[in-house]
Amino acid sequence: MRGFDYVSKRVLFAVLTVFVAITLNFVLFRTLSGDAVSALRCRQCTQAFKEYQRQQLGLDQSKWEQYKLYLQDLAHGDMGKSLRSEQPVTHELWPPIKNTMAMVALGTAFSIVFGILVGVVCAWRRGTWADKGGLWSGLAFYSMPPQWLGLLMVLFVAGWLGLPTAGIKDPTLGILGDASWWDVFVDRMRHMILPALTLGLVLYGEYALVVRSAMLETLGEDYVLTARAKGLSNWRTVRTHGLRNALLPIVTLVALSLGFIIGGSITIEYVFSYPGIGLEVVEAIDQRDYPILQGAFLLLTLSVIGANLLADLLYFKLDPRVSG
Amino acid sequence: MRRTIPVVVALVAAITLVLTACGGGGGNATGSGGSETGAVTEGGILRVGSINYIDSFNPFHFIESQSYNAFIMLYPQLVQYDFQNGQYVIVGDLADSWETSADGKDWTFHLKSGTKWSDGQPLTAEDVAWTANTTAKYASGPTAVMAPSLAHLKSAEAPDPTTVVLHYKTPVGNVLAQLEQFFVVPEHVWSKFDTGDGKGLKTYAPENDLSSMVTGGAFTLKQYEKKGTTVFIPDPNYWGEKPHVQAIALTYYTNADSMIADMKSGQVDWVDQVPFNAVDVLKKDSNIVVQQIPGAETTNITWNSNPYKDENRELLDPQVKKALSMCVDRDKIIEVVFNGYAEKVESLPGKISLYENKNLGPLEHNCAEGNAMLDQLGYKKGPDGIRIAPATTGKYAQPAHKMQYEIMQPTSLDFNGPRAFDIVKEGFAEAGVDVTLKIGGDSTAAYEIETTDHCDPKTNSGYTGWDIAMWDWVGYVDPDFMLSVVTKGQWCSWSDTGWDNPDYDALYEKQGTTVDEKERAAIVQQMEQMIYDNWVYTQLVEEQYIDAHVSGWDGMDPHLNAYAKMYWTRPHKVG
Repeated sequence: MRGFDYVSKRVLFAVLTVFVAITLNFVLFRTLSGDAVSALRCRQCTQAFKEYQRQQLGLDQSKWEQYKLYLQDLAHGDMGKSLRSEQPVTHELWPPIKNTMAMVALGTAFSIVFGILVGVVCAWRRGTWADKGGLWSGLAFYSMPPQWLGLLMVLFVAGWLGLPTAGIKDPTLGILGDASWWDVFVDRMRHMILPALTLGLVLYGEYALVVRSAMLETLGEDYVLTARAKGLSNWRTVRTHGLRNALLPIVTLVALSLGFIIGGSITIEYVFSYPGIGLEVVEAIDQRDYPILQGAFLLLTLSVIGANLLADLLYFKLDPRVSG
Repeated sequence: MRRTIPVVVALVAAITLVLTACGGGGGNATGSGGSETGAVTEGGILRVGSINYIDSFNPFHFIESQSYNAFIMLYPQLVQYDFQNGQYVIVGDLADSWETSADGKDWTFHLKSGTKWSDGQPLTAEDVAWTANTTAKYASGPTAVMAPSLAHLKSAEAPDPTTVVLHYKTPVGNVLAQLEQFFVVPEHVWSKFDTGDGKGLKTYAPENDLSSMVTGGAFTLKQYEKKGTTVFIPDPNYWGEKPHVQAIALTYYTNADSMIADMKSGQVDWVDQVPFNAVDVLKKDSNIVVQQIPGAETTNITWNSNPYKDENRELLDPQVKKALSMCVDRDKIIEVVFNGYAEKVESLPGKISLYENKNLGPLEHNCAEGNAMLDQLGYKKGPDGIRIAPATTGKYAQPAHKMQYEIMQPTSLDFNGPRAFDIVKEGFAEAGVDVTLKIGGDSTAAYEIETTDHCDPKTNSGYTGWDIAMWDWVGYVDPDFMLSVVTKGQWCSWSDTGWDNPDYDALYEKQGTTVDEKERAAIVQQMEQMIYDNWVYTQLVEEQYIDAHVSGWDGMDPHLNAYAKMYWTRPHKVG
């Protein structure tokens, strides 16, 4: 019963948070002066065109009417249409979301694997050169702005490795002949490496530092001393008694940093011209494309809330103090 | 045209490439790096890098300037521009020849025969007439975007398959320049969207189903990725100058540094707009050919010239604005901000205009004289060195106040705007005027300048709350649009100054209906003089337009960007 209460409270809180986020998404973007039509900066955008657009897009209605319409549509699973392209928001957002998910997954996997590995080694070999190397590399990457690191990749790494710096595919691939799935896969990976590596390195720094800290704390516990006294191998002591108990803050960190991952990927995608959700959001902001922004931020909000909910539920599973 | 966005938004937004990239109105391209003199080799994929993307393939609904380039590749035009002997001239595209009636109201175009759409259907005068009539029919609604290219059109008719006659309500001074921006679509495809209120014409997105997309230009569309690569391949049915390439792959870059890095590493063949800070780097590369021509984009100090504004009315005085302008070191702006790739400009339409008034100014950098003018006008310096505007009386009375102002600046400039501001600030400080920079997102800053919520030309409201801006315009061969932006008719729309001068507006109307070229040129130049004498803008510099391609390719003519199909059909491999 306690488990049911815990889960239901968490779910209810998540739902309330989503509703607040939906409302904030609507209000925040409209606090600036102007709208999607006034933001049109093209010679062919005559006054007649702008007036027609404002009417067609419903921007001539009151904010309250627009809000009611927004909620009604959302209740039906309709996120509206882009004010710029006039295509459904889901149609506009799905391709960039797919691109971002692949890149973020690759970068996050890299950061988790190397972050944990380096953090564990640093803690295990505290005070050695390995520890110092891991600590300083972690601090260095953690403190680098992602976009700056991305530019360094473009200027100094891309040419050296022969990797493309923009887009998600080779412009000539499959133009004059069919490309095999393997060709396409390799090409996608080549385009994904630099942005994913940039994201991964920044996150790696953070994960390595937190894992090191958590491991140091855990390795100083009495039960670790007991395990060693029992004659367990170093590896088993670290893996079973050290790392497992240090996982809790790591789970929290990964969940909490999901927001940063998406936020950080905005600047990374811009540097690498990577057509993901971050790039879509930047351009939607510039164009005051409210439905795209609302849709994108709703999905980002859901992903963060979902990740936090997942972390809460994992806590329930991992931490006996919560479930017990 | 104000840039956006970019150039994203005059591009970036704004008309970044449509007009930014338009070549200069005089002089041939100068180049550096390798030169190509080998024979034309057919074939190859031309990989083009651009900081502008294509948002639509529907000429009735597009925003981004790169879409305009796509239309040029995909759809027929009656006429287009070519660049011959150092100047732009109208030449035929679908039309072979044309003539006008004595009163200038009726224009007859004789079309090429045997022309076809990409699906093999005949391309006839009926298609032209239908597109024109449909555009005019919904001009204040779904087709408003293309309607300016047919301004004042009464009707169009096709007496036979190769003749189309356009009937205008009044004589129009720039019919051919307008029609150069008119794209013909296939009636047999688009007519099914001409139902009800015609909204379907605007919402139709041909790119959603490439297999059913019908085009009539030199290329058809093979692949479209909005924020990625768009691929064009030659249309075998095309009736004009055949492309040399097997395909053109146009890739969108959000980051110009990446684009330049890809070019240097051999992953891009042609960059249609090189950032100023990258030009010298590319010039040092022997495998890259850099071409530079006089550009169309002019930067300026934009003065709020709204005669009804309440505050800081001393800035309405042309003599004050002239005095301050004389303290701005434009040479320094050219060297520091544009790396030397710009030149001074005086007229609003710029040097690209067919009717540029070359007798304006030039504005001299002479701050001593500027200071003397301000002293003489009664703006004395205070103890802190900042001048005081004396109190005034009457309807727009204002108390004595220091001459301290904000300068607004959108973020979408394609040059280092804050650095340009620093140089302006230095000059103004020398004149005893203190300015601070207010940077805004392009849409926000533009909105504040041009179209605040309470803006209404009927009540003369709007254009308050700011005094000075620094921005840019991208001119065009025909000066009509640039001349329009300072009319009252563009208040709350394209006007960024709030200037209200009925004499000027009357001249604008007159030039619009003057068919005789010489007579129209005289009126236009008189209008340019009025803008100059009133210091509505202080024109600073005109950027050069610079493109670059790798060795092994040739035929790129930057003058033709966004003006002609030849821009895309002439590039070829050499060897």
